[in-house]
Amino acid sequence: MATYSNQCAIVGVGENQRSRKSGTTPLHMALTAARNALADAGLDAKDLDGIMNYSTGGDSCPSHELATYLGCHPKYVKDVSGGGSSTELLIADAVALIEAGMLETVLIYRSMNGSSGVQVGRGYDPNMLQEMLPGGSFIMPYGSASPSQWFGMFANRHMHETGITKEHLGHVCISFYEHAQRNPNAFLNGKPLDMETYLATPDISMPFNIHDCCVELDEANAIIVTSASNAKNCKSKPVFIAGMAPRTTHSHVHYWTQVDEVAADHAAADLYKSAGVKPEDIQVASIYDCFSWVVLRQLESYGFAKRGEVGDFVAAGNLKMGGSLPSNTAGGMLSEGYTHGMNNVLELVRQLRHDYKGTERQVKDCELGIATGWAGPDIAGAMILRN
Amino acid sequence: MTKQTAYEKPIPLKTPDNHEYWDAADRHELKLQKCSACSTYIHPPGPACPTCGSPEMEWELLGSDITATVYSYIVSYRPFLPGFQHDLPTVITVAALDAAPDVKIMANIIECDPADVEIGIPLKMTWVDVTDDRALPQWVLARG
Repeated sequence: MATYSNQCAIVGVGENQRSRKSGTTPLHMALTAARNALADAGLDAKDLDGIMNYSTGGDSCPSHELATYLGCHPKYVKDVSGGGSSTELLIADAVALIEAGMLETVLIYRSMNGSSGVQVGRGYDPNMLQEMLPGGSFIMPYGSASPSQWFGMFANRHMHETGITKEHLGHVCISFYEHAQRNPNAFLNGKPLDMETYLATPDISMPFNIHDCCVELDEANAIIVTSASNAKNCKSKPVFIAGMAPRTTHSHVHYWTQVDEVAADHAAADLYKSAGVKPEDIQVASIYDCFSWVVLRQLESYGFAKRGEVGDFVAAGNLKMGGSLPSNTAGGMLSEGYTHGMNNVLELVRQLRHDYKGTERQVKDCELGIATGWAGPDIAGAMILRN
Repeated sequence: MTKQTAYEKPIPLKTPDNHEYWDAADRHELKLQKCSACSTYIHPPGPACPTCGSPEMEWELLGSDITATVYSYIVSYRPFLPGFQHDLPTVITVAALDAAPDVKIMANIIECDPADVEIGIPLKMTWVDVTDDRALPQWVLARG
């Protein structure tokens, strides 16, 4: 079991301006996000000795190109094909390389024209999954190509077993949309949601309507991780990496038929053990929210509510400001924007630095937060951060 | 005269690992891969057993009288692949085989009103000829 012991910290976060149509390339957007993260940390590009990024289907730009146009030559670049847990897992890689003494300061980014370019929610290429994956030939002929369909299959069984209702899904959406109204950079700022509207919206893939699905946009985010000793030299207040846990479960990448467990169920125990904390110690959360139900399922996994009680937990307003677990306080991917998980981590860092102090967006005096990543029911990565 | 329209949906891609399954489907039969070491059915078929890792596998013919129950399902109101725009809403299920409940076979439930579908209801396998030489296993509601 790795002990993180706060030996590394996130010292810089940055993004570009999210939009439906960037009119530019992922490289341009990544450069903006990276420069903003460097400025946030008070670091120069030449201070970076590692750069990492994740992408899906080649929708990003290579780390080496980013380094080239930042004007630096890091020791180490890494580009992985990733998903919704890759932010946490690349941070874990950065921590390991820093603790091994190989690197000192690593920039991790995600850049995607998720609206004007490759839009995951519209489904994958008809032949891609069949050619790539043994299970692909057993799902594509039946019209199942969108994550809304794959995760919907889990959601319907889980809702059937635990009594979660459509209204409960709505409470997740409404809570996050409420946060977005305090965030001028949220794409759905100015577009609040109420239960009547939510319930009147027709489904795309049952049980999900458009509000249950994340907002796919053109956006780039960047995060800088450095050693705790180097963090002292940075301009920003460091947010320490206190715990981390990765996990896979199911056989097959997409042909999931065992929907009784998810990887997050198993990641949770390792996560709390690595940080030496309990679920009730957590004061602010970033719960991966590609779909509303994914939040409910992870609240169960990470011990914030018991199986069968998660619906009541969100209906009571616990995800809202003033609740027991203010979550996705920038609006989450459901209403701020979808940077494949990374924007939720940016918000968690800002909350733990008390960047919003004196405003109603700040979770007052929060010291301990959780970020959960969900690449699917089969792959999870989560971390605990503290200030 | 009505012109025959070509089948627009994706057709299962046969591979060295899965062709026995799809060859059997073309004959309107269900054939499953099974691990010779731990006797677990392997579905979808692959190059080794996902349960124990053994590369020793065999195939078992289950025939054409296949029943199952709905384990989970979704109703899709938008097409995400070619051809499905003609079949909305589309019901997709994972159904547990009555003969081997651990084996769950994903397919559409065809010729049904989505409102009649719920978890736990019985299904029967049918095969739809999609081209001259290919057939696709599908589920229909088992009417009592």
